[in-house]
Amino acid sequence: MLSRMMRIDTAHFGWIDVHTTDVLRFPLGLPGFEQRRRWVLLARRDRDDVSWLQCVDCPGAALAVVDPRRFVPDYQVSLAHRDVACLGLRSLDEAKVLVTMNRTERGLTLDLKAPVVLNLRRRLGRQMISNSDLPVRYALEKASPPRMRKTA
Amino acid sequence: MLVLSRQRDESIIINDNVVVTIVDIRGDKVRLGIQAPQEVPVHRREVYEAIQRENRRATSVGPRDTENLPNSTASENRRG
Repeated sequence: MLSRMMRIDTAHFGWIDVHTTDVLRFPLGLPGFEQRRRWVLLARRDRDDVSWLQCVDCPGAALAVVDPRRFVPDYQVSLAHRDVACLGLRSLDEAKVLVTMNRTERGLTLDLKAPVVLNLRRRLGRQMISNSDLPVRYALEKASPPRMRKTA
Repeated sequence: MLVLSRQRDESIIINDNVVVTIVDIRGDKVRLGIQAPQEVPVHRREVYEAIQRENRRATSVGPRDTENLPNSTASENRRG
């Protein structure tokens, strides 16, 4: 595919140059952003833990996303076969799975219920809603093992 | 709203490719079977609306909020 550069406006990072081949197509948009079909995944050069799912066409539509296993090592999500197949994937193993990060008055949370599933080969994405009983607001601090313990 | 009466094992068809079947009725609980093309998403409404709200709210998270992620150094937990 012929790649062109394009400049996109972002609320958090100002103007950013991306290749047209970097664009991820979300045919259904995202819940709450159903009309937003074109997104890119951005990350700061010095950070690989957080990425930003940035809408190409709306500077303010940007969601912090992380690899859930980084914070919840045993994270497992089961999705309906029809949902996985619509991205042209045979199984979830072929997918990149990210979860969105949110903020409450108690701190940061992860939406484990609705992972963003990407087929990077086809540059296709969809936010899936799992039928399993997973939290929409998983408190991030809980993922941290205690760093100190009392020894006496 | 269009309102139709259906009995168990009866269906309605929407737009010639979505079929909703009454699978079971017990008390005030109705079980539905839904056949729809792969590209047509099907969700429980309250769950979908919760994710919509969560996504809209999540746009208020900025780079500053993610400066000190708990456990973000736990790189040994990462897959490949």
